[in-house]
Amino acid sequence: MAELVGLAEGIAALVHDGDTVSLEGFTHLIPVAAGHEIIRQRRRDLTLARMTPDIVYDQMIGAGCARRLIFAWGGNPGVGSLHRLRDAVENDWPAPLEIEEHSHAGMANRYTAGASGLPFAVLRGYTGTDLVRHTSSLATVTCPFTGEVLTAVPALNPDVAVIHAQRADRKGNVQLWGLAGVQKEAVLAAKRCLVTVEEIVEELDARPNAVVLPSWVITAVAVVPGGAKPSYAQGYYDRDNLYYRRWDAISRDRDTFTGWLADELGS
Amino acid sequence: MDDKVLTADEVVGELSDGMTIGIGGWGSRRKPMALVRAILRSDLKDLTLVSYGGPDVGLLMAAGRVKRVVCGFVSLDSIPLEPHFRRGRQEGTIELTELDEGMLYWGLLAAAHRLPFLPIRAGLRSDVMRVNPELRTVRSPYPDDEEFVAMPALKLDAALIHLNRADARGNGQYLGPDPYFDDLFCLAAEKRYLSCERLVPTEELTGPPQSLLVNRMMVDAVVHTPNGAHFTSCVPDYGRDEDFQREYTQTPWPEFHAKYLAGSEADYQAAIA
Repeated sequence: MAELVGLAEGIAALVHDGDTVSLEGFTHLIPVAAGHEIIRQRRRDLTLARMTPDIVYDQMIGAGCARRLIFAWGGNPGVGSLHRLRDAVENDWPAPLEIEEHSHAGMANRYTAGASGLPFAVLRGYTGTDLVRHTSSLATVTCPFTGEVLTAVPALNPDVAVIHAQRADRKGNVQLWGLAGVQKEAVLAAKRCLVTVEEIVEELDARPNAVVLPSWVITAVAVVPGGAKPSYAQGYYDRDNLYYRRWDAISRDRDTFTGWLADELGS
Repeated sequence: MDDKVLTADEVVGELSDGMTIGIGGWGSRRKPMALVRAILRSDLKDLTLVSYGGPDVGLLMAAGRVKRVVCGFVSLDSIPLEPHFRRGRQEGTIELTELDEGMLYWGLLAAAHRLPFLPIRAGLRSDVMRVNPELRTVRSPYPDDEEFVAMPALKLDAALIHLNRADARGNGQYLGPDPYFDDLFCLAAEKRYLSCERLVPTEELTGPPQSLLVNRMMVDAVVHTPNGAHFTSCVPDYGRDEDFQREYTQTPWPEFHAKYLAGSEADYQAAIA
């Protein structure tokens, strides 16, 4: 059953140095505040996994939290490159960063296999791309009926999944709606999970297209209003597009970035 | 195409002998019975049925239209054993591909994903492997080396499903507690036929988006069949007709057929009213 915790308490209890950590959210409901708390608590040697690493992973990588990144698409959506990610891969600053690159379908299948308790998933992706050469975790399976060679991807079972949702009730049942990514799959695949929410409500009303994660699959819930900013939380606040544009200038330069870290996160 | 509305008999006219036909619903719940009754009025034969089976399978078997059944079970829910399926199995009149329910799901999912198979644990170390010698296993390509059943894609020539509401374009909505696997039946099939309790304008398909189980890309034709799931349930429009289901199981087939199924759908609905 989920426990109601403070954000700092939740991160301290659930995210450890060396863990494989998935902060999931797809444009919408990105758990930015939780990522910032991981920076503040100076976690190190994390393997960060995410379908679409954007600026919160750029910040965590620039702050030196990560040793490795498992991802599909990486970038500042609608703006350009992630400069801290580039600097880490190209120049080992502030630390070397290994990368393991997949397709979106591959990452979704990896989480789904992990959530299903299967060691691998089968799909037709990757064939004909250079990912086959660069991503050593890919394998093949031959169909015993047709002889067709299909791609296999290994299950992804993070030590911790961190997501942001609109609401939870006092028992720790979590409801999120609007554009959903692979939050459900990441939570079900993970050994532990922390969900930050906009608010706690007495009762979760039935909502169209709402994903309800029951309390028994959730380790901890922390109330963090605005916890997805500068991304958005449908029904609560809009995306701060200006922030994403500003991040490009902040992140291009190491000194500007370290100044931002000190000013914004005291880190 | 804006108007995909056909009659049940027109749908059956698009089917042919020997086809593999998937039928949605579950046991004696939300079965496209009006479409099944239309098949009974036709000459279709040698069908392979893929179904979470109920009286759809029983009726077609009783009428001698079935060559093979691919199923996890055939049951009437409140009456555990489907009598015509039971008799057909005891007398060996049909071929059977007997699967675990999860395997049936995985086979439809593989077909829906256009994959030749999907790996699954269900079926291993059970008689499912003995009674289906055509099944194969695959091994995980990773160090765990675990063995899985390779569930082959269950590709369907046609799918028949019944939903509470639909529009003329083939968008369909269920209003009960369970979607069953009707969306997968459509995604696994070449031709997809949706019957509905009420045909409504698109703008009346309100409610939770996830209740819109099938969309017009997944449906080739729509049939308006009020009370079309009878005698199976179609919650919340109506529950199962338990008295009629009992009569179905207790009445010799020729007598039952003559009383209810010899005429049109309108005759059937008049006879049960």
